[in-house]
Amino acid sequence: MNWLRRTTRVMALAAGLGTGAAMAQDAPIKFGLLQDFTAVYTFVSGEYNQGQQDYLALVNAEGGIDGHKFEAIVRDTGNQPQRGIEAYNRAREEGAILFDFLSTPVSRALVDQAMKDKVVLITALHGRGDASDGTVFPYVFPMMATYWSQATVLIKYLEDNGGLEGKKIALVHIDSPFGKEPLPVLEDLAGQKGFELKAFPYPSPGNEQSATWSEVRRYKPDAVLIWGAGGGQSVSVREGIRNGIDPENILSVVWLAGTDAKNVGADVMTGVKRFEAVSSGTDPAIIQRILEKVVEPGNGAGDKANVGSSYYNIGVATMAVAVEAARLALESEGAPLDGTKLKAGFEQIKDFDAEGLMPEITITPEDHQGGGAGRVSRWNGEAWEPVSDWGAAYQDIVRKEIEDGAKAYEGGN
Amino acid sequence: MWYFLELLANGALVGLMYSLAALGFVLIYKSAGVPNLAQGTLVMAGAYAVWFFISLGLPLWIAVLIGCVVLFVFGLLVERLLLRHMVGQPVIMVVMLTLGLEILLRGLVPGVLGAAPKPLSIGVGLSPVIIGDVFLNRAYLWGGVLALVLIGLSLAFFRTRLGTKMRAVSDDHVASWAVGLSVERAIGLSWGIAGIAAVGAGTLWGSVQGVDWTLSGLLFPAIAVVILGGLDSIPGVLVGGLLVGILGSVIPGYLDSMVGGSTREVVTSLIILLTILVRPYGIFGREDIERI
Repeated sequence: MNWLRRTTRVMALAAGLGTGAAMAQDAPIKFGLLQDFTAVYTFVSGEYNQGQQDYLALVNAEGGIDGHKFEAIVRDTGNQPQRGIEAYNRAREEGAILFDFLSTPVSRALVDQAMKDKVVLITALHGRGDASDGTVFPYVFPMMATYWSQATVLIKYLEDNGGLEGKKIALVHIDSPFGKEPLPVLEDLAGQKGFELKAFPYPSPGNEQSATWSEVRRYKPDAVLIWGAGGGQSVSVREGIRNGIDPENILSVVWLAGTDAKNVGADVMTGVKRFEAVSSGTDPAIIQRILEKVVEPGNGAGDKANVGSSYYNIGVATMAVAVEAARLALESEGAPLDGTKLKAGFEQIKDFDAEGLMPEITITPEDHQGGGAGRVSRWNGEAWEPVSDWGAAYQDIVRKEIEDGAKAYEGGN
Repeated sequence: MWYFLELLANGALVGLMYSLAALGFVLIYKSAGVPNLAQGTLVMAGAYAVWFFISLGLPLWIAVLIGCVVLFVFGLLVERLLLRHMVGQPVIMVVMLTLGLEILLRGLVPGVLGAAPKPLSIGVGLSPVIIGDVFLNRAYLWGGVLALVLIGLSLAFFRTRLGTKMRAVSDDHVASWAVGLSVERAIGLSWGIAGIAAVGAGTLWGSVQGVDWTLSGLLFPAIAVVILGGLDSIPGVLVGGLLVGILGSVIPGYLDSMVGGSTREVVTSLIILLTILVRPYGIFGREDIERI
C-alpha cells in the first residue's frame, strides 16, 4: 500500500531528523493526519496527504521552527466514524495536538470530543461550514473557503462576466447533504440579484447522470454549477458537454482536478471553470523548495508526478497554515505546545498566504474560516489558469448561514 | 414527448450495461446455486486490469484480452482455493464468503493499483447521436450493443456440449456427480466466465465514469436486475436490465425535480421489494417446487 509505505518513510524521516542537533529540542510537534485512503475520499486523499507530509518534511529539512520538528501520524479511517474515533484516541495517546480527517462524517463525529479534549481540528474544504464560528467551535478551524463561500465566489464571477439579472443558473449536484449545501446561499443570491436558480440532483456516487442532464439541457441554462466529487465530477462534465452545454459555462466546486480532465479528455474539457482555494502547479515558491529539498533528494512521500497537482497543493497549504499557527504559538505561548496554545496560534494568523500559494487568510477568535477567499480558474487544455483575482464575496450571506448553523448546533440540532 | 423518448432510450441502453454487470451473477448462480456478492468488485477488478495493461502501453483490445484471461484465471482460483473448501457447508456461509471476497477486493485492488480515479478511454467520442430532439449517449450505444452480443454468446454457450453439462450441474449437483460430471470444474468455469463478463462491464463503465472503487457499487443495480429477471435466467438478465434501466431513468426524470431529490435508488429498491413479494423467482426464473 502506497500510503503505508509513505507513512513509514516520513515517520522514519522525522525520527532521523530528530537526532543530532535537534535532540536538544523538545519532542516533535505531532499532527494526526487520519484520513480516508480506502473509501469515499480516495479521489483526493492520496495527493492531499502526500502534500501534507512533504511540507512537514520541508519544514524539518529547513531546521524546523526554532529547532522544533514536526511529525505526521498517518492512518487510514476508511471514512468510518468508528475507525476515526479509534485512530483519534491512539494518536491522542501518542501526543498529537492537531487532527485532520479530510472526511465530513469522521470530522463531524469528533467535533465534540476534540473540543472537550482541547485539541485542534482542521476541516479545510470538508466538515461543518458553521464551525467557522469560532465562538461556538473554538477548536475547529475550516481555515479555507466553506462550500457557501465557494458558491458566492462562483456567482460573483458570473456577475462580473456578463451579469446575473434575468439569467438562468442550474445547480447540478450529488443528492447528499454536501451536494445540497450551497442551495440556501444560492437561493438568497438569486433573490438579491434577480437570477433564476434550479437544482438538478443526481444519485450518489454519480456514475450515471444521463436522465438528469436531459432535463438540464431542456432548461437551457446560461450557466451550470456542478457540485459533486470524485468520479461523478468527470461524468457531470462529460454529460454537460454531450448535452450541448458550452464548457465555458460549466463551473465547479473545488473538487475538480487535472485527474478529472484526463478522464474527460484534456482537450474536451477546455473552458470548464472551478473554484480554486489554492494555486496549482509547481511555480509557487513553497512547491519549488519542496522539489529541491524533499523530492529531489528522494525523501518525498509519494510519486513525484503528483507534486503541484491541485490536491497536493491544497495539502501543502493546510500544513503551511498549521505550521504558521505553531510558529505564532511558540512565539507567544512558548514550548511545549498543546492544543490550547496551538489554537491561540491559529487565531493570531493574519494576512498569511503561504508565500503566494493561497489567498491571504486572517483567522480571528470569531472567524475560523479565514475570510472565505478564493478565485476562479479555467482549464486551458493543459493546466488550470486563474481567470479572477483572489477574493471573497457576499460574506454577509455566508456569515448568516454560519451563525444560523452554529446556533442550531448550540441548540442541540 | 421527445424528453420521454430520450429518457426511455438512454435508460434502455444503461439497463443493458447493468445487464452485463449482472450476467456474471446469473452464470454463477446457475451453476453453483450461490448468489455472488463479489460481482460488483469483480467488475471493478476487471476495469482496473484493463486500465493497468493500457498503462503499460498495450492497445485497448490486447489489454481487454489479457484482462479477460486474468479474471478468468482468478475465477478458477476462487473456486479451487475458496469454494471447494465450502462443500457441505450451509449456503449462507458461502454467501458470506463472497461478501468477504468483495470487501477484500474493494480494499486490495485500489490499495495496490491506486485509489484515485483513472481514465479508461475506449475511443468513443462525446458527441451524441441525435434523432429529432433525442440525444443518445454514444458510449451507452456501444455498451448496449456489446451487452447484447455477450448475452447472446452466453445463451449460445449453454447450448454447446460444455454448456449442457453446466446446465445439468445447475439442475442437480448430486445427480451430476452420479453420472460422472465434474461439478467442481463446472462451477470453476462459471466463475471464470463471470470474470470475463466483469471485464466487459468494467471496461464499459470505466470508460463512462473512470476507474475507481465506486465501480463496485454496480452490485446494487445488478442485484435488482437479477431479482427482477430471475436469478438463474440469462434472458431474464436482458429483460430485467432493460426494465431496471428504463424505470430508473423515466421515473426520476419526471419526479426528481418535483420532490427535490433523486428517486432512482427508491425505484431500484422498490423493484427488489415488489418482485420478491409478488414473484420471488423473478420474471423468467425457475420456480422450484419441493415435496414437504
